[in-house]
Amino acid sequence: MKKRIKDISQNPDVQMLNISVEESMPLPYPFNEPNSEPLFKPLTEEQKNRYECSLDGVSALGIPKPKSKEEEEKLVGAFIGGLRKLLRKEDNWTFLQPLVLSLNYCAKCNTCSESCQIFLASGRQEIYRPTYRSEVLRRIIKRYLTKRGKVLAKFTGNDVELNWTTIARLAELAYRCTLCRRCAQACPIGVDNGLITRELRKLFSQELGIAPKELHELGTVQQLNIGSSTGMSPKAFLDIKEFLEEEIEEKTGKRIKIPVDQKGADILLINNAGELLAWPESLEAFAIIFNTAGISWTLSSELGGYDAVNYGVWYDDVQLARIALKHARIARELKVRKIVVGECGHAHKVTTVIADRLFTRELNVHRESCLPLLEDIVFSNRLKFDSKKNNFPITLHDPCNMVRLTGIVEPQRRILRKICPQFREMEPHGVDNYCCGGGSGFAIMHSMNFSDWRSSVAGKVKLRQVLETFRDVIDPDSKKYVCAPCSNCKGQLRDLFHYYGVWEKCGIRCVGLAELIVNAMVDMKMPFLPP
Amino acid sequence: MWLQLLTYTSFSFFVFAFIVKAIKYARMPVHLRWELYPVANEVGHDSGGSYLEELDWWTRPQRKSYIKAIAYIVREAFLFKKCCRNNRGLWYFTYPFHMGLFLLIGWLILLFIGAATMLAGISVAEGASAQAWIVHYLTPGVGVIGFVFGIFGGVGLLIKRLVDTNLRAYTAPVDYFNLSFILAILLSGLSAWYFFDPTFGTPRELMMSLVTFSPIADTNIPMTINIVLLSLFLIYMPFTHMMHGLAKYFTYHRVFWEDEPSRPGGDIEKKVEKLLNQPVSWSAPHIQSGKRWSEITSERPQTK
Repeated sequence: MKKRIKDISQNPDVQMLNISVEESMPLPYPFNEPNSEPLFKPLTEEQKNRYECSLDGVSALGIPKPKSKEEEEKLVGAFIGGLRKLLRKEDNWTFLQPLVLSLNYCAKCNTCSESCQIFLASGRQEIYRPTYRSEVLRRIIKRYLTKRGKVLAKFTGNDVELNWTTIARLAELAYRCTLCRRCAQACPIGVDNGLITRELRKLFSQELGIAPKELHELGTVQQLNIGSSTGMSPKAFLDIKEFLEEEIEEKTGKRIKIPVDQKGADILLINNAGELLAWPESLEAFAIIFNTAGISWTLSSELGGYDAVNYGVWYDDVQLARIALKHARIARELKVRKIVVGECGHAHKVTTVIADRLFTRELNVHRESCLPLLEDIVFSNRLKFDSKKNNFPITLHDPCNMVRLTGIVEPQRRILRKICPQFREMEPHGVDNYCCGGGSGFAIMHSMNFSDWRSSVAGKVKLRQVLETFRDVIDPDSKKYVCAPCSNCKGQLRDLFHYYGVWEKCGIRCVGLAELIVNAMVDMKMPFLPP
Repeated sequence: MWLQLLTYTSFSFFVFAFIVKAIKYARMPVHLRWELYPVANEVGHDSGGSYLEELDWWTRPQRKSYIKAIAYIVREAFLFKKCCRNNRGLWYFTYPFHMGLFLLIGWLILLFIGAATMLAGISVAEGASAQAWIVHYLTPGVGVIGFVFGIFGGVGLLIKRLVDTNLRAYTAPVDYFNLSFILAILLSGLSAWYFFDPTFGTPRELMMSLVTFSPIADTNIPMTINIVLLSLFLIYMPFTHMMHGLAKYFTYHRVFWEDEPSRPGGDIEKKVEKLLNQPVSWSAPHIQSGKRWSEITSERPQTK
């Protein structure tokens, strides 16, 4: 039976949705045979007993079940208090105007539904519809914070009861959206369900202290206190940097020094520190390109300065501002001309656009994406290329934060057209492309069975797109690449491809843009990409 | 005269409420940037890109084309392209419904022109001057098409909301009421034309009486009902989400397409500095509640 809005507050012991492969969106070859898709891993009985999971049998937040009635009431009271703050200009000046507009003017036409990859992949499950969580929140606000909503509750449809179950399910539901904002792009009025979801996450974090451990404790808090969301201290960073220099020498035969804390350099490059561990070849590639092109650049070994990520953008304005300002202060102290953001989508959006207004006076440092710079280098003939070195089928994934949300669409394409003779677009692409399924922090969230949900639901449309793009060369012997110029997208694609065995069955893997540029360089005696 | 008084009151109230709403949204604090691409006024980035595609973008003049933005808005307003592309089933009804309403606004303007023409001593009738002749024929043409389109779309939307389970789940009694309210206005207007007044001469006379603050001789019953309902609707509408036309200006121009970088010493910076001086009252452990934004964001988060 189709779930109703008010069901979110009812039957706390009954799971609202049981995720099943059978009901979900089918995939093309070679995943169109029965039992060719991995089975979704349910939570263990112990996990079910300990944590709230009655939304869909998934736990992203690990919210412990309440032990007393008082605990339940305390949560409800705190939630209402947080809602009031969310709608007050003193507390939420950062996003009040777009939030209020989106809350007040939805025509409930569901035009946005078909643009949501989670809704589509789940087999159009009602609770994943972009308007579902927004409508729950809207009805709660009207019923509990407005006089009209109370008096005319039935007439105005404000039938959602606020209790512990509603709040816990809503908290989980806030983490079933990748904030890709494809729904907002489809809305004729400009209602932004992605923003509503983000603001809901903010309420939970800033008022109730509820946020995924990977984003908060291990994410922003660790970045500000230890230096990186990976837990990498400045000393560890410097050790890794030396290791990268040695690796570059092994691969190229050249001793390239990676500059750190060079005052007065032209560029401060901030990269996702996770790449140093998962894809060290990305920073190696940047070092080779910049060195060969004669670019004046530096990295920072300051606390937080060697990690471009800013998970605050997904759940918390205070943490967002703290990290963004930290980056600007470091750039200021190093007296660089500009900050260049490496291949990290959300860092692009935060550093170049969202935090723009937080950078007041001397902190308003010039900031830009690495993509126009790479394009300038590639087309300026400072590097010599042999595109035959990249002669394999390749497509481009558009990281939402870089493309739809920052408007950097063409530089990466122009580069690929020049250095990859078999480049092909996936459909849809550019600003209309789908999210990889790892957006809004999902790529690094793996508590309990969340990784399974991320691959089997959130990332499924992306997998379908990739398979359809390569359908004429799907044989695993034909090696193919998805270029994803974003660390989180790469992480998600790596996990997604591993979950479905895409490398083994189809010969597809993902790669960054800088690595492809280096691989095509005439100077490179050995292939830079892994075999 | 009571009909005129009601019309003056409701129209004035609507204009007043519209302005108050617009000021309320316009005066909301400057927010962090939240653009969504393509931004219609961007020039030279046809794939939906932005000035951020350019190396050292701050050294180049930001090229904006308001004509491009207006062309986009006009296209969207008169074709409902987004709805057509993403929700064709709804578009078949919402498009004629809204077009009907737009035509009826045009009809009201024609009535005003007709009234002004008559006040200038020119008869609006068959065989009159060319201008009056156009008004004479255009007024019923635009009005009837507007009413018919509006009724067709409105009935379609009502049925679709009742029949389509995906829409029904999100439709409250108030939404059916709103649609029915508009339909009642449209049906009474069309009845007045069909049964009593094929040239829309009476509403033109009413328009004249409104302009000259003078009583009107006579109105037919459907027209009286029509004016009363429309007046009540004008008072009711500002309290509903049906003001989404106004909201759309802000969601697009002040959020999605704002595209306005903060410049050192600029207005945005001054506004933000004031906001950063406000105290924060959020209660989570990592926020030092009570301190100012500027203080909190300069500190490291406290851990549990």
